[in-house]
Amino acid sequence: MWEWWRKNKAILLGLLLLLAALLWYSVSLRQQKETNLFEALVLRVTGPAQSVLTDAINGVAHIWGNYLYLVDTAVYNRQLLEQNSALKAELNQLKEISLENERLRLLLEFKESQPVQTLPARVIAEDASSWFRTVMIDKGSADGVLEGMPVVVAEGVVGRVIRNGPHESRVLLITDAASAVATLIQDSRARGICRGQGHSLNFDFVLRKEDLKVGEPIITSGMGGIFPKGLMIGHVKSIDRLEFGLFQAIEVTPSVDFPRLEEVLVLLRQVDQ
Amino acid sequence: MNRILIYLVLAGMAVVVQSALLSQLLPGGFKPDLLLILVIYFGLHERTWRGACLVYSLGWAFDVFAGSFPGLHGFVLLAIFLAVRAVVSRVNAESSLLLMGLVLLGSLLQGCLTIFALEFFVAEGNFWPMILGPLPFQVILNMLAAFLLLKLALWFQLTFLPRRYVPGLRKLDSHHES
Repeated sequence: MWEWWRKNKAILLGLLLLLAALLWYSVSLRQQKETNLFEALVLRVTGPAQSVLTDAINGVAHIWGNYLYLVDTAVYNRQLLEQNSALKAELNQLKEISLENERLRLLLEFKESQPVQTLPARVIAEDASSWFRTVMIDKGSADGVLEGMPVVVAEGVVGRVIRNGPHESRVLLITDAASAVATLIQDSRARGICRGQGHSLNFDFVLRKEDLKVGEPIITSGMGGIFPKGLMIGHVKSIDRLEFGLFQAIEVTPSVDFPRLEEVLVLLRQVDQ
Repeated sequence: MNRILIYLVLAGMAVVVQSALLSQLLPGGFKPDLLLILVIYFGLHERTWRGACLVYSLGWAFDVFAGSFPGLHGFVLLAIFLAVRAVVSRVNAESSLLLMGLVLLGSLLQGCLTIFALEFFVAEGNFWPMILGPLPFQVILNMLAAFLLLKLALWFQLTFLPRRYVPGLRKLDSHHES
């Protein structure tokens, strides 16, 4: 017995270690709602480095684009002079639009009457893995950001905060496979769940009897308890009425351009009236 | 202790470069998994128990930057490390081709283990299409990154540390041996 143990000790201990890791992973899945001390520490240590690296890259790109890479500058200059003339004409039109904008601004004041405060944040890094869709923002618990808070841009919903350090947080994008948002079709009011598929979304649990059209806008329903009602998610890209089953297969194009995400708004908790 | 510190710094750099630099340079959200390459390197040149503890800790730290499931990468990277340790005594570790082969197999194993851990333990979400679809491209990207890192590491050693023994590097490419 002892001889057998000695012979297979490495394999058995290796398997035991692997099993322990799997068990710990399984247990931690049920306790993942809050940022633990280890995660907060790692975020605190690496957040500034990511921020510095992003600034350095932008600085190098700025110097390269503005001072070094000046091929075809003369041609661009002539084109720009022509554009300048055209833009002067457009400016007159824009004055008219400006007046219209003034009227629309009054409508937007409605937003300020909402009991939700917003916090602007900058995207400082993306997910370190190719298989998941998260981003890091430069605001954290010290700025009032908590886990579960929705993150949006003018075009629509970005995602929700899943981890937060003192000065940075990680946001799970709605295009991640782990994301599910309670939504509805704006026109027909058909309800469903939008799940991430990497670059697009699937609109699940929409009954086959619902008459939907490609291009229809999809908004949050407010039923999930995370996102307020009425935020834009995207538009119906394709509809597949399956021959069997209760539901349709609907693909959705998100309204947010995720690869070009730079600034976002965190919707802070509703202020008690 | 110094070596562990160097490993931790390298791993930290790998994660920061992956999330802040490569994500801006490469299209489609793709980025090579530099930490996987590092773990395979640990598998070739570290002792089992010390390496396993290091890799598991790095996996947990990586989860802070990737995905939304704490412990996932700890489990996946530990399994890959142990798999490398299991085969390392049976193969010729003095070959850079071996490292490339292990990166190929490690990337495939990483994909399979990630799918297993997500599909069997997470109730919500349809993960496998997001992993299986881009997996071939990810494998090629990882191998390319491993090749470039190997060349860079050999150049670094020959230029700055010609008389120092760096684990693996002198062995990995006999072309540079004196």
